[in-house]
Amino acid sequence: MFSLFHGLWNHVFSKTEFRVLILGVHKSGKTTLLEKLKSIYLKGEGLPHDHIGPTVGLNIGRIEDANVKLVFWDLGGQPGLRTIWEKYYDEAHAIVYVIDSASASTFEDAKSALEKVLRHEDLQEAPLLVFANKQDLPAAVTEEELDRHLHLKEFDERPYMFVAGSAYDGTGIKLGIDWLVEEMGKSRRTEALRTRTDTYAKF
Amino acid sequence: MGIVFTRLFSSVFGNREARILVLGLDNAGKTTILYRLQMGEVVSTIPTIGFNVETVQYNNIKFQVWDLGGQTSIRPYWRCYFPNTQAIIYVVDSSDTDRLVTAKEEFHSILEEDELKGAVVLVYANKQDLPGALDDAAITESLELHKIKSRQWAIFKTSAIKGEGLFEGLNWLSNALKSGSS
Repeated sequence: MFSLFHGLWNHVFSKTEFRVLILGVHKSGKTTLLEKLKSIYLKGEGLPHDHIGPTVGLNIGRIEDANVKLVFWDLGGQPGLRTIWEKYYDEAHAIVYVIDSASASTFEDAKSALEKVLRHEDLQEAPLLVFANKQDLPAAVTEEELDRHLHLKEFDERPYMFVAGSAYDGTGIKLGIDWLVEEMGKSRRTEALRTRTDTYAKF
Repeated sequence: MGIVFTRLFSSVFGNREARILVLGLDNAGKTTILYRLQMGEVVSTIPTIGFNVETVQYNNIKFQVWDLGGQTSIRPYWRCYFPNTQAIIYVVDSSDTDRLVTAKEEFHSILEEDELKGAVVLVYANKQDLPGALDDAAITESLELHKIKSRQWAIFKTSAIKGEGLFEGLNWLSNALKSGSS
């Protein structure tokens, strides 16, 4: 009886945990975004921008918003390491895809890598936030121009938002995360992941 | 390298006692790495229970090294060295493809230890100077690093005898420990 009540209590009052993948090609600014997220939501320091080297593995950031816990998985974007991305798809609720808006030479690669991510069946219905990063740089292209390169609207049916911002100065981050949290809250994928977890818990 | 190490890690732990375990199969290059880092004298001890532990004390950080694999009877005694462990440096001989399966199994079994749950993981894909050494992506695959989902990890190609890659790895480690919340 106690365990039943305890379970119910947890179910009603514990904060939902959402797992969010941060993906994107090499040097798009994924780890800088992760550190900025931590400094915004945890009111901490975050790693200084110039300390961040290429990621060859997994960085994790945990933050709490009003009613949710967010766990961010930041995975390295060098071509050889992208094979590990898909190993994390299955358990993720949503995707943040980071693009370096100031590096036109990487748009093709960014586009094809994103298309591959979205085709993967383990990420079905996962909300997608495309973060057009590095808007603080003079070379950054506008939203419209990036859209022309990427044809973002043609991707698929999933909930999708495009934010032009900067992981360096923090522009656009809150906007994007607020949207993501709302979408994850009502996403069918979240429901599916929850059912699966509950089933595991029973056995 | 000792000075570099001080610069990287002095602000990480403050005055707290910290432990970094350097683990891997025998002949992976663990001791060579410690010597390369020039952090002090490596003291080798064989406790009565019979496994060889090398220790380097560097300021408040204790590096402890032993071989995984082999006798299962002594494994419970490893736990004496687990408390306060902030990081695990796992060293793999990237050219020893025959034993990569063993290296993987030993790696994941040590990660299951309760007292090591919070430790971040740095993998050195060592012996890159040898012909036939697998690169970082291949070692990632062989060790199934992607199974690690609740702690931070990174892999670096290293050659301990040439001193390559070691610093980059430690740099990541100090950042990972500083940024915390893992």
